[in-house]
Amino acid sequence: MIHWVCPSCARRYSYHLPECTWCRAPLDDRVAASAEIVAITEVCVPSVGHEDVPYWCALVRACDGGQSIVKLDHPAMVGDEVPFGREAASALAIVGVVGTGVMGRGLAELLLSRGHHVVWAGRSADRLSVARDKLIERLGRVMDDEQLESVAAHLETSVDLHGLDRCAVVIEAVVENVAAKRSVLRAVESVMAPGAILATNTSGLPIEELANAIQRPERFGVLHFFNPATRMRLVETAVGSRTSPETSAFLDAFARSLGKIPVRVAAQPAFAVNRALMPLINEAVRELEEEVASAELIDEAVRLGLNHPMGPLALADLIGLDTVVNIMDNLSARTGDPTYAPRPFLRQLVAAGKLGRKSGEGFFSYESVPRAI
Amino acid sequence: MRAYIVGVGKTRFGPTSKSIAELAQEATLEALSDAGLGPDDLDALIVSNFLGGPNQRQLHLNSVVAGIFPGLHLPGWRVEAACASGGVAIHNGVLSLAKYRTVLVLGLERMSDVVGNELTRNIGMAGDAMLDQVEGLNFPASYALVTQAHMAAYGTTTRDLDLVSLKNHRNANLNPKAHFYLKHVDQRDIDAGPSVAHPLRLFDCCPVSDGASALLIASEPRGGRSIEILASAVSTDVISLSQRSTLTSFAAAKDAASRAYLEAGIRPSDVDLAEVHDCFTIAEIVAMEDLGLAKPGEAVALLRAGETALGGRMPVNPSGGLKAGGHAIGATGVSQAYEITTQLRGEAGARQVHSARIGLTHNIGGVGGTCAIHVLGVPR
Repeated sequence: MIHWVCPSCARRYSYHLPECTWCRAPLDDRVAASAEIVAITEVCVPSVGHEDVPYWCALVRACDGGQSIVKLDHPAMVGDEVPFGREAASALAIVGVVGTGVMGRGLAELLLSRGHHVVWAGRSADRLSVARDKLIERLGRVMDDEQLESVAAHLETSVDLHGLDRCAVVIEAVVENVAAKRSVLRAVESVMAPGAILATNTSGLPIEELANAIQRPERFGVLHFFNPATRMRLVETAVGSRTSPETSAFLDAFARSLGKIPVRVAAQPAFAVNRALMPLINEAVRELEEEVASAELIDEAVRLGLNHPMGPLALADLIGLDTVVNIMDNLSARTGDPTYAPRPFLRQLVAAGKLGRKSGEGFFSYESVPRAI
Repeated sequence: MRAYIVGVGKTRFGPTSKSIAELAQEATLEALSDAGLGPDDLDALIVSNFLGGPNQRQLHLNSVVAGIFPGLHLPGWRVEAACASGGVAIHNGVLSLAKYRTVLVLGLERMSDVVGNELTRNIGMAGDAMLDQVEGLNFPASYALVTQAHMAAYGTTTRDLDLVSLKNHRNANLNPKAHFYLKHVDQRDIDAGPSVAHPLRLFDCCPVSDGASALLIASEPRGGRSIEILASAVSTDVISLSQRSTLTSFAAAKDAASRAYLEAGIRPSDVDLAEVHDCFTIAEIVAMEDLGLAKPGEAVALLRAGETALGGRMPVNPSGGLKAGGHAIGATGVSQAYEITTQLRGEAGARQVHSARIGLTHNIGGVGGTCAIHVLGVPR
């Protein structure tokens, strides 16, 4: 927070001006590291640039008398302290991210943008280096060189899990597969500090099976972010039977500190969102099989009729058809309900290597403009 | 130099399909008829408008309004000072009597073309782009901070805010040109209203209205129905709440009020009725205190005692105010003078304030960044 003060008459200015309008003296800048909330309101009406509501607007006053309006993404009280700038960032925890896929990269970007120091662990130096370049390139679109340099200094990569021992929190975001996650969680926990918290970004695998792989299940839980992690506000949080109340509370508080809205769900297959979404996609595939309409028209109807930003088939292509098959197989196996089984046409596409956007083709082709196949 | 309101006109406030030109003509013709004048009697045109740019991509409204006077090449210009545009335009009109004899001051706004997020953003343009807008401080949020500060300083409650809303809705039910003329509002409606910016809820907020208001201002009275402008005052303050030393009062309003009382040679206790800028319920309470109609923190006592209701000692917002009469932003300040003129003439029908001789208008832009105050009186 910055203000400009006339050294001669002490008039205070909120704009960067070369001199005092009365004294014509050059103004001094006053930078405050923190300020106290004088008044705060929960804003429930959205506007352009502030679409996500509620949010909080506070009038804050620093000890030197400087005031500012501050947007917050969490409630606070009159009298609470609001930190600004670098001092705020240094107080934040070091966070580990394991995995270099889309979610791993999104999480690293989110954490860096919220001022955390990030240790990013992956299987190979090559993958990590490619993922890091991609992340820096993305950040470069919204930051100038100075900001980018400072953020890059807060990102370290690790191929041998080295550095995760300094993290207060580690989020695992490797492939959505029980065996793979169990082995990574076990390895990561073995280097972590005993008091640190380990979270998995699973979208609905059985938490007890994952917890059985580690030594300290009381410090383990689910933080399920959505893609793109920097923009999507939901985090599904879930706990196992041995998760401690402190860890449970931490999961929600940590999500909120990242500007997210945590929704607590029971550790049931696919949690709340995918349990609703995946059968919707599967049913859209069935519509295609039964020739209700073309892929384009099914998507258009659902977009317009349900006010979804994207049709279910295009969304399936974005998620990856193999992932959709995986989740539906898992749902039908764990619930014992065969209606969850992936539709035959979905399996056919996966068997033919048509996995959606990442392979260049799924329900639509992505070589140039999307079109129905 | 003396200034008189010799004719008034106003469209109904509220959503309408009428264009800017149609609204302009309707209010203008009513004012001309009221004064017994024709277009050729006009010497200048001042148009007040706030959101033509962002809402309709239409600026340069004096020239648009020239379209209702084809062939008449009036000196004219547009005035913009956010929600105080209308009051500032009247001030302009009074000043222009140094050169012109009869001036049309025309307030115009169309708000219903734009809805939701976009409209909230556009209205927010009256706040500072960097200090307020990027931090999401929209208008309800600004007044919510004012409300909280007032509650903390003086013990004002949400029930007190409800009293403003109930009173102004009752008054609007007596005003056929009010936005909520036909809407009955009771405590249950208020309690059911959703939160807008805590602690303000739906019924603490004025609606967004379409509408136009017109005044004919002249240097000499015309017939027995002319009303004298005893004072015309404008004052400005820094735009963001973060630049102010207090939230419970607007320095621009206090300054404009002291200038106006001095110019009119009256004291606050001489005011028989007032139209004040109640864009949010709290704003009426703050206005009464800034105007000296009540001491700081004591406006709610007058409200609770019913003294500002019709029939009370000093009725405030007999038209229904912005809260229930409607807020067609560029037209609002002009409409306040329409109401006081109508009241002082004794032509306000069911909402008539009896034996009123001096009335005041208080028009605020932004969160107190601009304030225009006019004192109107029955000529002696």
